[in-house]
Amino acid sequence: MHPNIHRNPWQIQRDVIRALLIREMKTRFGKWRLGYAWVLLEPAMHIMLLAALFSFMGREFYPGIPTMLFMLAGIAPFICFSNAFGKGVAAVESNRGLFNYRQLRPFDAVLTRVLLEFAVYLFSLVALLVILAWFGVTARFNDFLLLVGINLLFFCFCLGISLTMCVVGTKFPEAAKFAPMIVRPLYFISGVFFSLEQVPQEYHVYLAWNPLLHMIELTREGLFASYHGMFADLPYLATSSLVMLAFGLLVYRSQWRDLVRSQ
Amino acid sequence: MIELRNLTKSFKTPAGRKVLFRNVNAVFPEGKNIGILGRNGAGKSTLLRIMGGIDYPDSGRVITDQRISWPMGLSGGFQGSMTGRENAAFICGLHGIWGGAKRKVLDRVQEFAEIGDYFDAPVKSYSSGMRSRLAFGLSIAVDFDYYLVDEVMSVGDAHFKHKCEQVIAEKRKTANFIIVAHSMPILKKNCDVGIYLGPSGLQIFDTVQEAIALYQQGLPKPAQAAAGAQK
Repeated sequence: MHPNIHRNPWQIQRDVIRALLIREMKTRFGKWRLGYAWVLLEPAMHIMLLAALFSFMGREFYPGIPTMLFMLAGIAPFICFSNAFGKGVAAVESNRGLFNYRQLRPFDAVLTRVLLEFAVYLFSLVALLVILAWFGVTARFNDFLLLVGINLLFFCFCLGISLTMCVVGTKFPEAAKFAPMIVRPLYFISGVFFSLEQVPQEYHVYLAWNPLLHMIELTREGLFASYHGMFADLPYLATSSLVMLAFGLLVYRSQWRDLVRSQ
Repeated sequence: MIELRNLTKSFKTPAGRKVLFRNVNAVFPEGKNIGILGRNGAGKSTLLRIMGGIDYPDSGRVITDQRISWPMGLSGGFQGSMTGRENAAFICGLHGIWGGAKRKVLDRVQEFAEIGDYFDAPVKSYSSGMRSRLAFGLSIAVDFDYYLVDEVMSVGDAHFKHKCEQVIAEKRKTANFIIVAHSMPILKKNCDVGIYLGPSGLQIFDTVQEAIALYQQGLPKPAQAAAGAQK
């Protein structure tokens, strides 16, 4: 009957995120026949389709690493990024009704969605690696600690970009239409299905600016002992992720009232 | 205590900004029920939502140490594909009610809303009456110092209205209300302080009767009143 009267701000934040997470899970996966299996099936189908396509072409992208695994390590983080990007754009509009509860602000909606995307990404990556290993598609594993580190950074990056896009998408709804146009080219220049070595040398300097490329190369380095990303640069990923997070938080903080304010 | 400090709010219209109120300063002491009245579009709901921390003014602040509810009977936050129970559980969660306490609250809500087995059906299959019964049932589930009431009494059938009035009477013993209504009897019965939102901005009265009197002055008296509204 009584709300927990002595909740401190952290407890309120925790309750809000927890309630939102349950809600998002229910709305995203609860209505389908296979329910929570979609958590895995959704990215699995995407990854498997592309991976199958490329392995069909019979090319080996990197010596010693099965194409399936190579692709998986690239596509999984990319999907996570692309979802965080897109969900951020729509975070305010699709949750309008929820902002009638004063403790629930756009930040919570964004954080919840990024958390969920990230959990789905990690879960599906691990599950698909295990399933592939069961079928005999394996490579020698390299560095668990590196994977933990880069994924923490990657989470910061996704949250930062999602918060930024939440503000941009709400203040300039027209900009939301361009969102897919930004993400799609990134797909081709982030090394999802090629290794940077295959691109002419003179473009390397420009491509190396892309944090996603570093994330994907570092993921492969962490997963496969025989992989050496030509440009993979941990300090660069760390810097760009933290800068992105700081930028996202600042943009959000400067604009958050406007996001829910009636005009 | 609820304090309004230098509150200004305006809306964008095609003909420039329309100011609802400017530089409002007021202090509402504890234990006062507040009634807000004015014409359609005068900004009553906006003021209510600003006081409740849901909307924000252009400038100024609302300072309070009270726990203020969401607008009672609000069904905008419902997710159609989730069941009534799941929606209710979500709102409990937001307010820190989990586990056993949550189950108790949910039982009470189900009982109040009188929707029976529909409680476990998706909200999108509800009739509008069922939706508002569920929404109203939910707002009594959580205890607050102040409840926001925005025209809630105008929904539902006679039986439901009677029930709402009962609940409000019950809650009045321990909590206060901020009410937006067009029904003068409801305001007279439930409010101590009156806020009138007129064409010249916002006026605050120590008794709701004075605000009602001013509001009724502005009621359409043929011809010249309509001409006045055009300005």
